[in-house]
Amino acid sequence: MFTNSRRDVAFPLIGAVTLFALLFGGGLMYQTILGNGSAQRLVTTMLVDAIIVIGIQIYVGNTGILSFGHIGFGAIAGYVFAVFAISPAEKIKRIPMAPFGLTDVEVPPAVAIAIAVVITVLFAVVVGIGLARSGAQSGSVAATVITLALLFVTHEVAKSWPELTGGNRGGISFAIGASLQGRWPIVAALIGALVIARLYGQSRSGRLAVAAREDNLAARAMGVNPLVQQMVALLLSVAVVSVGSALRVWQIGSILPDRFFFAYGMLTLVMLIVGGRNSVTGAVLGVAVMTAARELARRLGQDGFEVFGIGLDGAPLDWIFRENLNSVVLGVAMVAFMIWRPNGILEDWEFDQWLYRRVGRRTETKPGRLPALDVIPDAQFSASGISVSFGGFQALSDAGITAESGEVVGIIGPNGAGKTTFVNVITGMVKPSGGQFSIDGDQLTGRPSFELSRRGLVRTFQNLRLFGALTVRENVETAALVAQEHRGHRTLRDVESLIAEAGLWDHRDRRARELDYGNSRRLELARAAAMAPSFLLLDEPTSGMSDSESIAMIEQVRHMAATVGAGVIVIDHDLGFITGISDRIYVFDQGSVIASGTPTEVQANPRVQAAYLGSAAAR
Amino acid sequence: MEGLLQNVIDGLGRGSIYALLALGVAVVFGIMHMLNFAHGELITIPGYLTYWAFNNGWNWFTVIPLIVVSAVLSSLLIERIAFSRVRGATDFTMLLTSFGVHFIVSAGFLLYVSASVKPIPRPGWFANTLAMGSLNIEIFDLVVIGVTAVVLAGTTWLLQRTMFGLALRAAASDFDTARLMGIKSDSVIRGAFALSGFLAGIAGIFWIMREGQVTPTAGINPMLQGVLAVLIGGLGSLRGAVLGGLVLGLAEVLLRSWLPLSIQNLTTGFVFVLIALLFIFRPGGLLSVPQVERV
Repeated sequence: MFTNSRRDVAFPLIGAVTLFALLFGGGLMYQTILGNGSAQRLVTTMLVDAIIVIGIQIYVGNTGILSFGHIGFGAIAGYVFAVFAISPAEKIKRIPMAPFGLTDVEVPPAVAIAIAVVITVLFAVVVGIGLARSGAQSGSVAATVITLALLFVTHEVAKSWPELTGGNRGGISFAIGASLQGRWPIVAALIGALVIARLYGQSRSGRLAVAAREDNLAARAMGVNPLVQQMVALLLSVAVVSVGSALRVWQIGSILPDRFFFAYGMLTLVMLIVGGRNSVTGAVLGVAVMTAARELARRLGQDGFEVFGIGLDGAPLDWIFRENLNSVVLGVAMVAFMIWRPNGILEDWEFDQWLYRRVGRRTETKPGRLPALDVIPDAQFSASGISVSFGGFQALSDAGITAESGEVVGIIGPNGAGKTTFVNVITGMVKPSGGQFSIDGDQLTGRPSFELSRRGLVRTFQNLRLFGALTVRENVETAALVAQEHRGHRTLRDVESLIAEAGLWDHRDRRARELDYGNSRRLELARAAAMAPSFLLLDEPTSGMSDSESIAMIEQVRHMAATVGAGVIVIDHDLGFITGISDRIYVFDQGSVIASGTPTEVQANPRVQAAYLGSAAAR
Repeated sequence: MEGLLQNVIDGLGRGSIYALLALGVAVVFGIMHMLNFAHGELITIPGYLTYWAFNNGWNWFTVIPLIVVSAVLSSLLIERIAFSRVRGATDFTMLLTSFGVHFIVSAGFLLYVSASVKPIPRPGWFANTLAMGSLNIEIFDLVVIGVTAVVLAGTTWLLQRTMFGLALRAAASDFDTARLMGIKSDSVIRGAFALSGFLAGIAGIFWIMREGQVTPTAGINPMLQGVLAVLIGGLGSLRGAVLGGLVLGLAEVLLRSWLPLSIQNLTTGFVFVLIALLFIFRPGGLLSVPQVERV
């Protein structure tokens, strides 16, 4: 089982409510102790900021793409909300020339928020398509600039379209039919935001997005289309940010272009990264910490040490304690965290998952060994005439292999023989200039790699590509989630059995990046097996392993393949390993297949001896 | 026809400044893979020094070297204090570090100078025009275009014909291998930041003259134009950065002249829409650099 309703629904709900209680409770205590209006306003502001920061976390945290654009979306939502919610009497004064007859419109605030969300999400769809076209992935620079440009466009339009927005000077300051009495809309929205963020984080889409964040290429090789998951994350995230932004406008009672621009973008980003952008707990912590730090800085800037009840005239630190100190604090916090703790205070620690591991895993028992499949589903892989040239260099010419389910086919050849290029072609990473390949006659040539793995051709990587921040279990689950949707006609092995099978049971809740080399290799194999592949493509599975480990690997590969009924295509340059594991072998040299047959046939072939073992062996 | 020619010259003048900024961003990106969101501060800092210098009786002849030198020094200083500590970090970390630096500098001026606009006198010849037939060409545009051409030629020579240029290009194409070949990473990176600062300094002279003022957030626009120009031209290409700058300048001026008067103040918005369309149909920019995915 890999959907666990306790872990993915019940505990996240508990977590969301707990986080809310901590933030809200802390705020209430602060305002009770100080007991003045400004403390109350500070707490309200913090709660609204929290909604927006959690909204941004849904996108930035799960996809790893830095976005400045969310505040731009916030501006859109804020203006839409304002324009719909202000009374016509007020609009006559502020924006009498509003287009589309909006001057006469007035709807209740809740409806205005809904309209703001819908309109903003429509914008997000367009922006999301642009981001996808730019090939957005974790840390993608082009994507970040696109979001930055969005922030500028919204700011520019807000400033230069005064008929609608009230422009730069007056803005829209307004009286909404019902002004924001009490905090219940904010409280409700905050709880909602937390619930959405946590449920999304544990959902199929959220977990696939995180996998792609950790390693885009490996995620695609596991059948994940990252662009789809990024779009889902973006739309959800923008919806939450829209609600938060509308509430922000409602609470402040006015909107100006600069309210949703660089300064606020900076504030929300710092809040997000200080606590730890990869977890919702981190986002909430960041909001609390930065609110406190800024308030302290503001008051130090105003009153110096008198904040602490120490009155010093001409205090030595007057050159620091100045007005606007709180904005410097933001910049310093950002740079300091990026230098010393780029993943924030909590990194990827999530409260409810921690709680689940403490409480929930006691009931787990180690599953027994998986039997081999009784009936191996019949499948046929064939590649023929594959040619690739890089510039003038012919890396592959007219190469081809066949493989059937249940057998292990080895590909061997010296360095530069074209083995890796061949793998890259049949996994969709390199487009061949000629030739084709198929599974059961189903043409696969030219398909994107995520589609190839969904059709049953699943690879591992020569230089390990695990989802480092995810646990062993989550790594395997990612593949299983894809298999559930696209490989349902095959026998799907459950995640825990596969983990036990790979000898990783005791490490199941450790992060993949903490594993040693051999365990990492075994995890990659288990992850690939979870896809219920028709063919398992192993790229140098023993590179970096000792001889005894290689021999153990042979047993492991054969057994793993048998339990999921997959054929194996294995590439290596280690003759001993390949002859030990393979039923049939293809020998590559200088881009072509020079021999094929059983291990004994191939070893006896003089051309192979000359090409692979060197002329000394051929003598 | 004359109108078009005039706009083209105007656009090239504007675009030249963007090109210089973009080239500076591209040089640093090439070597560190960091898109420098603090690049605009290399104009803000000299801007405030210029304001100070004029208040102390300096004139443009002495201020111009001040701008260039202070831009180079600021660039090196920022590298030393902040960017050298995140070398080799994830793209996400480097983006946010540079953004944080931008924010610290602008907040620093807010803290220690003030939020208000500080005026800077423009040179006497700034508004002069040169009549050529029916054309009225601004001297300023011609100067900008001329100086930029000389600076770009010099930079090309530096990159193509000197040992430093070779080291820089080698490091940009494969940093680790370049180090193994005996290129000192520190000096190449510092060289790249010095070059980036120098280019920003030249751009800064014209930017400051044209704006005639400085504010704490003065760096935002030059940063944005530089970064956008790099993307328009194609991330990873130095030629693309220059081309992107020129295209961006031309697009701004031509669009402004073609748009009907009533929506002219939305020019910037339309420029962004054009850029968005470019990204959608040609995601790699004008001179897109093929991205090889390492398996």
